[in-house]
Amino acid sequence: MTSPLLQLRGVTKSYYGQKVLADVSFEIAPGEVFGYIGPNGAGKSTTLKILAGLITTFDGEVRIAGADVKKERTRAHALIGFMPQSCGFQNWRTVESALDTLGDLSGVPAEVRARRIPALLERFDLLAARTKKVKELSGGMTQKLGLIQALLHEPRLLVLDEPLEGLDPPSRQMLKDVIRERQQAGTTVLFSSHILSDVEHIADRVGILNRGQVATTGSIRDLTSAFGLPTEIDVWFSTAPADTGFLSDPGLGVADQPKPDQWRLVLTAGADADAIIHTIVERTLAGGGRLRKIGVAEPALDDLFARYILESNRGN
Amino acid sequence: MATSPTLRLVRDELYGFARSKVMLVLWVILPAIAIVGYLLFKDNAQLNGGLGEDHQLSANTFMSLILSSLSGTIAALMVAVDIVSERQRKVYELYVIRPIRREAIIWAKFIAVFLCVTIACVVSIALGIAVDTVRGDPFNATIAFDALKALSQLTCVVGLSAAVGVLFGVISRTIVVAVLLILYGGQNLTIVPMIPTYFGVLPDQFWVFQLVSVLMIVALTWLAMVIFRRSQF
Ligand SMILES: Nc1ncnc2c1ncn2[C@@H]1O[C@H](COP(=O)(O)OP(=O)(O)OP(=O)(O)O)[C@@H](O)[C@H]1O
Ligand SMILES: [Mg+2]
Repeated sequence: MTSPLLQLRGVTKSYYGQKVLADVSFEIAPGEVFGYIGPNGAGKSTTLKILAGLITTFDGEVRIAGADVKKERTRAHALIGFMPQSCGFQNWRTVESALDTLGDLSGVPAEVRARRIPALLERFDLLAARTKKVKELSGGMTQKLGLIQALLHEPRLLVLDEPLEGLDPPSRQMLKDVIRERQQAGTTVLFSSHILSDVEHIADRVGILNRGQVATTGSIRDLTSAFGLPTEIDVWFSTAPADTGFLSDPGLGVADQPKPDQWRLVLTAGADADAIIHTIVERTLAGGGRLRKIGVAEPALDDLFARYILESNRGN
Repeated sequence: MATSPTLRLVRDELYGFARSKVMLVLWVILPAIAIVGYLLFKDNAQLNGGLGEDHQLSANTFMSLILSSLSGTIAALMVAVDIVSERQRKVYELYVIRPIRREAIIWAKFIAVFLCVTIACVVSIALGIAVDTVRGDPFNATIAFDALKALSQLTCVVGLSAAVGVLFGVISRTIVVAVLLILYGGQNLTIVPMIPTYFGVLPDQFWVFQLVSVLMIVALTWLAMVIFRRSQF
């Protein structure tokens, strides 16, 4: 087994006696894309700031490629590219000068910077703004600048704090492409979001943070079962059968009728969805009805996530 | 290898001072105002207070006097206000996450302001000497020696004030606090090297002043570095 690129063990952080992170532990394998999900105030930024060395007083252990961020700070930080949730630049800074300095401080040689900076600006559609002052950029453009500075030195671990926030749809797509490309080049990526569906298509694995604790980690598929998600079947008639009473048959599950010709069945745990679909088709045809659509419903991840968070917070 | 982080940051700071016209103000406008002020009020009796009827304060001495009271405050405020406001605007986040020593950020600020204000002192005193020469007071070895002595004392004042600025900049979270600390506490700290002079206990007061200043600069910047290294962002 390859050793993890990032390792958090028992990371605990308090502010004024209030625990913001309570014993957070997880690992990320080299080349993995990890989505760090949690509601506002869950402690996502706090965790990422600890990784990046902005917060240095915490309990527990964090290792990047084996280097302890407390004891071997410089070695650990040479491996990481970090985009904070918000960052600033001096008033007089132009886009180009900001990136050149930051690249230099990351140890990127001048000739490489001269090549890489225009290429990245081009990629993020900022080339035209390169001589502009940073303070004159729009919010989304500043956000992109934050991303570029994290990518400049081609770090082995890319840590992005809510990178999709504030980006327009084409830019979001582009960022997702960039993340995928980096992954193919061997980069490990950790990014936070409070929108589960954002993560769905790019993350190999997801960690859910709630109230300072990692509730669960796993693939999106693992998560749906961790959420205790019941299987649901959507039924949509083009012509309803004479009698739809059979849909409320307790053997099928619990039925709900959101629109006149549409039904949603919530199956009891362990029920055989295929057999139930078969039964519904048969009964509909027998009752003289016609079906427009029938099938297992796609889980609405964000709804689930919201419900999960609500329920687990109510439980406490 | 890339350039040393401190050098790179000093270069950037100086470039920033140039871009934001700080240099123009320090090197041109302030000395010009001082000289104009001198020319306007040079015959004022009060200004020449203890000098007697037919003696006038030279432009050179006038400039040294003005600078000794102003340059320190300017240096301290520049450093501290810069550090606090850049920190508030989260400028340091992107530096601190890079594989450099955090101290480089603070050193760069100290060195850049020190250079900037010291050059302003040189410009002002040179301007004072130039005005004296034009007004018929020829430049000679004594004037050169006194000017150099005044300059090296000014350099110490500027260095010490910049160090005070670094310390108060690093511990303050708001600009108002930093400014208040400097105006009330900073002034007292920068007087310390002069204390032996008042008592006149030691034979060569010039060197005592220089030595105490340098020691204090080292101590204050060291303390500031320790605090900054432990700062949380
Ligand atoms: N410097 C600080 N001082 C005191 N409390 C803090 C500080 N920074 C964060 N907190 C608290 O820690 C908790 C977690 O904050 P954090 O920024 O990590 O949340 P987050 O998961 O990133 O939220 P969001 O989605 O809103 O960005 C919050 O309750 C916040 O109030
Ligand atoms: Mg956050």
